[in-house]
Amino acid sequence: MDAEQIIKSLTTKFPDVISDAKVDSDIRISAYSEAEKIVEVCKYLKEELQFGHLSAVTAIDQIQKNEIDVVYLIASYDHPVVLKLKARLPRDNPEIESIVPVYWNANWYERETYELFGVQFKNHPDLRNLVLPDELLGDWPLRKDYKGFPNRTAKNLV
Amino acid sequence: MDTNVGPDEMIIHMGPQHVAQPGPFRLNVKLKGETVVDSEVELGFIHKGIEKILESKTYLQGIPIVDRICYLAALTNEEAFVGSVERLAGIEPTERSQYIRVIVEELSRIQSHLLGYGEYASFVGFVSMFMYPIAVREQILDLLEMTTGARITHSFLRFGGVRDDLPEGFREKAKEVFANVEKALQEWENMMETDLIYKKRTVGVGVLTADVAKDLGVAGPPLRATGVPFDIRKDEPYLVYNDLDFKVCTETAGDIFARIKVRFAEIRESMYIIEQALDQMPPGPLFNEETPYGKRTPIMRIPPGEVFYRVEDPRGEMGFYMVSDGSDKPYRVKIRGPVYPTMQALPPLIEGVQLADVVGIAGSMDACTSEADR
Repeated sequence: MDAEQIIKSLTTKFPDVISDAKVDSDIRISAYSEAEKIVEVCKYLKEELQFGHLSAVTAIDQIQKNEIDVVYLIASYDHPVVLKLKARLPRDNPEIESIVPVYWNANWYERETYELFGVQFKNHPDLRNLVLPDELLGDWPLRKDYKGFPNRTAKNLV
Repeated sequence: MDTNVGPDEMIIHMGPQHVAQPGPFRLNVKLKGETVVDSEVELGFIHKGIEKILESKTYLQGIPIVDRICYLAALTNEEAFVGSVERLAGIEPTERSQYIRVIVEELSRIQSHLLGYGEYASFVGFVSMFMYPIAVREQILDLLEMTTGARITHSFLRFGGVRDDLPEGFREKAKEVFANVEKALQEWENMMETDLIYKKRTVGVGVLTADVAKDLGVAGPPLRATGVPFDIRKDEPYLVYNDLDFKVCTETAGDIFARIKVRFAEIRESMYIIEQALDQMPPGPLFNEETPYGKRTPIMRIPPGEVFYRVEDPRGEMGFYMVSDGSDKPYRVKIRGPVYPTMQALPPLIEGVQLADVVGIAGSMDACTSEADR
């Protein structure tokens, strides 16, 4: 299965959900998905298009557009194409459905994205901090308007 | 994990400081008698915030930082970082420097597997075995040191090339060292194949099947030990791996024993790759003349764009997802480390095994907390 076929299959199955689907190179494709339908899209990818290997879940803080993009990097064991699937969320209340029921290993990636960016993953089995201490939760350190570490240490020392 | 314990149950905290751990993390195990019924991994004891640090450093300053993700795989981390910047900027390294990169990265794979084996052997109860792979590994580190100038954190790769050429006498020294490694491998293999106690503790223990391993997202030697030939060097060839002859080492059993066998086979395969690379390496410059970014360019602006570049780390799939906004610093870097999913897969893997086998299974996965925490 090559990149063109995958895009065609994905856009015919979800015409209203998938947008900006394009081929970046022979082995890389990218697309945007509507946030509400992310679980259905992932299920289709895993079951019909052999995207069985979730490489990572992360986010990008697009502070100029006042948006947070959640990025799913999904690869496969059967073909070399890697799909970069993004979902746009509003920056003040980012909320998206968890894909843990589809990809088991999304669990930690979503926890990390939650504590670093403040993205709420609905119906996640255990959404709490993974790498950050409890005091830093709520600061969302990987957002672009984070005040920085020295301030926090000074506050903690007092 | 449910912290309510029944009358015949207890919870043991292994770590964050424990002798049989490759770095600080906490493993909470709930036991019923000697059997693990539930467990949970806690991270964050050495979270370094490397993804955030990289956003405030220029691209060249990023190279020494990514070395520190995990010192055992410093060169493959550099390759993932430098390679993604090269793809964003459209730089192609010269052929000679690509061969040099293959050589140093395969050396790095060998030393990582050797240390992993040593640690693992001490975890299953053979503590003095730790010293033997370390002695051999030190010879590999000598090879790396004479090339890069450092034993573990090298800062050797540059955008579009490498810092230095291979030193004189590298080939002869490598030949000598590889003979020693091969001799040691045979000795250890012989010991593992014949020792009944060792086999009792490893054969059929901590079994992963291919489907479960795929579901858990595990990559690298633990996945290949289940029979899945998933190797980025073959599936998505980078550098000059296409021109080199090597096979993907697999086993089918999926237990501890098979994982170690895969690592030994990979050490041999890496030595074979290096020998080939030394033979095939063309003469030529380390950097292209027309490259806009030479090795002495501290500030370089990278065109806007996004890239996800994967390499085969000693432990599995290492990937950098990098977003550039056209400035001299990356806008966002996501490091997809191979150990992260491996450590996540630990609780389902140790469910139902004996407590004494937990460290053996964890050791055979060759985890590195520093990288999982980043």
